[in-house]
Amino acid sequence: MRRWLALGGAVFVALALSGCGPQKAVRAPCPSGKVCLEMGLGAEVNSIDPNKITGAWEDQVVGDLMIGLVQSDMNGKPIPGMATRWDVSADGLKWTFHLRDAQWSDGAPVTADDFVYSLQRILKPETASEFAALLYVFKNAEAVNQGKAPPSAVGVRAINARTVEYTLEHPAPYLLELAKHQTMYPVPKHVVEKLGDQWLRPGNYVSNGPYKLVSWKLGDRIVSDKNPLFWEADQVCIDRVNYYPTEDRISGERQVKSGSLDTNTPLNPNRVAFLKTDMPGYVRTAPMLGTTYFAFNTSLPKFQDKRVRQALSMSIDREFITAKVRNNGEPPAYNFVPPGIANYVPPPPPAWAAWPYEKRVAEAKRLLAAAGYGPKNPLKFEFTFRGYDPTGMYAAVQADWRKMGVEATLIATETQIAYQQMRIRDFEFGDVAWVADYNDAMNFLYLLQSKTGGMNYSDYNNPTYDALLAQADNERNLVKRAAILQRAEKLMLDDVVVVPFYSYVSTSVTNPRVTGFASNVDDKHRVRYMCFKDAKPSRAAGPAPKG
Amino acid sequence: MSAASPLVPGSRSGAKTMEAVAGRSLWEDALRRLLRNQAAVAGMVVLGLLILAAVFGPALLPFDYDDVIKTDVYARPLQAGHLLGADYIGRDLLARTIVGLRVSLGIGIVATLVSLIIGVAWGATAGFIGGRVDEVMMRIVDILFALPFVFFVILLMVTFGRNIFLIFLAIGAVEWLTMARIVRGQTMSLKQAEFVEAARAAGVPRSGIIFRHIVPNLLGPVAVYVTLTIPGVILTESFLSFIGMGVQEPLTSLGTLISNGAANMELATWLIIFPSLAMVIMLMCFNFIGDGLRDAIDPKDR
Repeated sequence: MRRWLALGGAVFVALALSGCGPQKAVRAPCPSGKVCLEMGLGAEVNSIDPNKITGAWEDQVVGDLMIGLVQSDMNGKPIPGMATRWDVSADGLKWTFHLRDAQWSDGAPVTADDFVYSLQRILKPETASEFAALLYVFKNAEAVNQGKAPPSAVGVRAINARTVEYTLEHPAPYLLELAKHQTMYPVPKHVVEKLGDQWLRPGNYVSNGPYKLVSWKLGDRIVSDKNPLFWEADQVCIDRVNYYPTEDRISGERQVKSGSLDTNTPLNPNRVAFLKTDMPGYVRTAPMLGTTYFAFNTSLPKFQDKRVRQALSMSIDREFITAKVRNNGEPPAYNFVPPGIANYVPPPPPAWAAWPYEKRVAEAKRLLAAAGYGPKNPLKFEFTFRGYDPTGMYAAVQADWRKMGVEATLIATETQIAYQQMRIRDFEFGDVAWVADYNDAMNFLYLLQSKTGGMNYSDYNNPTYDALLAQADNERNLVKRAAILQRAEKLMLDDVVVVPFYSYVSTSVTNPRVTGFASNVDDKHRVRYMCFKDAKPSRAAGPAPKG
Repeated sequence: MSAASPLVPGSRSGAKTMEAVAGRSLWEDALRRLLRNQAAVAGMVVLGLLILAAVFGPALLPFDYDDVIKTDVYARPLQAGHLLGADYIGRDLLARTIVGLRVSLGIGIVATLVSLIIGVAWGATAGFIGGRVDEVMMRIVDILFALPFVFFVILLMVTFGRNIFLIFLAIGAVEWLTMARIVRGQTMSLKQAEFVEAARAAGVPRSGIIFRHIVPNLLGPVAVYVTLTIPGVILTESFLSFIGMGVQEPLTSLGTLISNGAANMELATWLIIFPSLAMVIMLMCFNFIGDGLRDAIDPKDR
């Protein structure tokens, strides 16, 4: 009986919630005379150690605390950070960065040693950084990360306290893009060596960026205050940032609407159109460097047949899904590398992408029939997709295939478990997303290299492709390099090893009062650039905006 | 007190001699009382209609539940021939609600049946034999109770693979625990009754006493509990579907429809209203019938 009541109650609450009226803004208390920003991160922060973080929401917090050799400007472009200038050797293998005279938030100077220490620490096998492989461009980094060489062997050294030199395995024209990434932030050697993991506690945590950590309560919020020792502290408007783990996206939207939060990301895709009318001026969407794609388990005979893979890719009505089902401005993807990647010219999409959908289906049917699949012998497979899907897009894909007689069984799988299963190839057909770590086509194309291993979900193994990528690694001319990478992508797309589905857009609801929140392809929004339209600079003792 | 009014089949022969005078068995009495309960009768009629719709509805509708009509995304009720509108990828909501009803009812009834069979046999045996056997059997129930349900379902999935039939089984296999406890308690009080003593004295074997004398007397509380279990099971199924272990797209259940409707409710209110209505009506029917049955069978309430 009690259960029954609970059920009735749940239904009632669900109905009641749908009609909830305007809510009162409850903002965190803000010290008088200060400007406070309330930011929803969309997920719980697991770490604030620059060498250990993985999520973009974690970098939102850490990227406001730490500054690497270069930093992102408002539009995501690399601009001088800790380094004021840098030189590259003629062969492109040695990068020398000259550091500015700057301090950690405890007053200690930021030195070249902090950068050397950070790179050695992130590569140490004991650190178990999930992103270490990104740094294999540095000399001996791979060997260090695999425990085959001591951390001191990695290609980085302090020439003097203010000069740090990196040695690379191969020329990397994208090094400045990589230097923006969280894996390249310095860590305060003097604190980490003394306190070990305790350095992450508020009170111990020392930063070199525009903010310093005040408190961190799991499940509640992280608080950062302006760092008065930051060299451009006088240009930072927001005095305090409260970061919230808004796991429930819809409640996050409502908090922005009511004014409890100033910004929240991301949005459920199919709500973007609705929110644009419900909260005019709040919704921000911008192209972002990410691709959602499908991978085949090519150890299965049915997916070894290229005709089958081609038919499945061809018959997905991407336009219907992006325009009607997701409906948030994401472009349908026919290429693997998303639009907007720097120094790259994408290959033309396959010819069939321009065909009318009916023609694509007819051709797909023909291909399937040629591969021996038809009404008597339907193609059957399991389609593992990530998480719970309120948009119904996977069901729409499934329906597209069903019309051709393909029987795909949808299996909703918790995101982390889905990736785990795919890494060990415990899947048949799977759904994956990849978001750029740094703005370069190589960051996408390396996923399908034969030596990538676990994350090469389709086990693509084409020596020509591998050779092209190796060739690109050694090419210093950006235009020639782009042409090589383009050939590689074309080759891989012609082999239909993955099914590109759609490219990303970043989405957030942000109060129009907030300034300095610019859209960029990295989806990086540093609080140091933000302010409120009606806020007086904090140096003047004017009243803070309501809150 | 139920022990004082035996419903053993044997009593019917005793009533036969009185046929000329009364001619009404206790079951008939109960049925009359049930039929006099307007809420219960209404519940039965509506539930009957729902079952008919769930069984024959899909065949009569112009749309298939899994038919994606790309021009009808978020069609409003009555628009483009969709009586209740269409969902976020253009599937007819009426067809989906009816299929959801079918799945939810199916799971509710089958899982409850499984729980009924295991629970009654287990509880009656434990309660009647008593002593050490009872101890062991009830501790097994305690252990199973302590096993987290989701963990159990995952174990089943890993061992046997994903299958809608497994969900029926899994839920039934967990729901019988409460049933076993209720039945055991009833049995323990029943076995002190005179008619059980009599049967024992007459040399009826244990199994005979359990299944011919005790189980029929349990029917009152069991019937009530069953009508209340069905909604519980339906709720459990929607929970499982929500975390991705229940029915999978394009198949649906009322719970899945409601949770997807809730995610889209500001865009399309009809996606949550109609499946919720179907769920509420169905659950109310079960509850009215359960209440009616309890009132009708409980001899105290004459």
